[in-house]
Amino acid sequence: MIQLGTSTRGAFSRERDVREAYSAHSGELYGFAVRSLGDSGLAEEAVQETFVRAWRAGDRFDPKIGSLRTWLFAILRNVVIDLGRARAVRPSVAEGGVEPAVEPLDEALQAWQMEEAMRRLGEDHRRVLVETYYRGRPYAEVATELGVPEGTVKSRVYYGLRALRVVLEEMGYED
Amino acid sequence: MKTRNECREWRELLGAHALGHLEGDERAGLEAHLEGCPGCREELAALAPVARMLPHADPARFGPAPQPPPELGQRIAATIAAEAERNERRQRRRLFGGLAFGGAAAAAVAAVLLLFVFGGGGSGEPAQQVRFADLPKGINIDATLEPHAYGTEIHIYVRGVPSGTLCKVWLRGPKGASYPAGTFRYRWGDDSDAVLSSALDLSRTRAVVVDTGKRTFVAPIGSAATA
Repeated sequence: MIQLGTSTRGAFSRERDVREAYSAHSGELYGFAVRSLGDSGLAEEAVQETFVRAWRAGDRFDPKIGSLRTWLFAILRNVVIDLGRARAVRPSVAEGGVEPAVEPLDEALQAWQMEEAMRRLGEDHRRVLVETYYRGRPYAEVATELGVPEGTVKSRVYYGLRALRVVLEEMGYED
Repeated sequence: MKTRNECREWRELLGAHALGHLEGDERAGLEAHLEGCPGCREELAALAPVARMLPHADPARFGPAPQPPPELGQRIAATIAAEAERNERRQRRRLFGGLAFGGAAAAAVAAVLLLFVFGGGGSGEPAQQVRFADLPKGINIDATLEPHAYGTEIHIYVRGVPSGTLCKVWLRGPKGASYPAGTFRYRWGDDSDAVLSSALDLSRTRAVVVDTGKRTFVAPIGSAATA
């Protein structure tokens, strides 16, 4: 008697595994796909292809080596490269057909990761980082605008960076 | 030794320091404290990689992230369920095929089984798994032919060509004549078989021809079909 559910196959081979992984990670994967492909239709295609490939290769997934999230992102990265190639060979852009560079995609992944971490930050922390770091505004000015002492803005920058570190760790980022 | 409170005051400046925002006395004071405080040095070192990552992000994108449409999950589940079913079907066919080409006794049993499985409509011969040899890397074509009273049913599955590719299929008869079996379009992520049919009997079929627009692939049918 063959019991599919309890077979010795890999840790990601059952349809139920896919459903669980989808509810846990589809938002992030889709967000990155939209950011790197710039098109929601293509992003949907990429996410679908990612889960189908993951399911087909489920035997090879080993949670001892890395997290499911990291594995799914690695597959999505390849899918995005494939989609980029498919787009590059369309007749209109075939001339000068350059291989899509891998570097910008890794940069996009890093950027997306940082932006996602920022989104998960509390509003107070995100606000001071945006004003002081990204907009380069003086701490005193930001403090007046927020109606808090300048020291509070500085401490929020500190606790904000700490919170970012925790969020990045939760997301599986390793430095 | 530093007291805890003293450390805390300096510590709350570490973020601004990691971003290079501290100046003058405040900066000099913190640096002097760091000099004698391994705990605060360690904390600063922990913030450094985060500070280095900040420039990668685009603050215009800190708003709510786009969400996948609600039906995407169902679509993926359906695609995977269809492929799982297809795999299972293929495994069953392989099992029956193996029996049919086994010993004489097994063949007799298989013939009965096949009549049962395929409804007895055809000439009693087994379904044929077709092999496409010399396919370019990345392209996959799988076909199974089933005999019927009306001719041959073709289950065909293509992977690795661009999404949207129009595929045309023919069966080739003993004298080289082509019998159209139909067309289908390959879509990325769609893993169902295309089911086509042709009037040519499986016993008279010598080859399956698949035209993907850019290339044509031919799979000869083995001697088993001519027997």
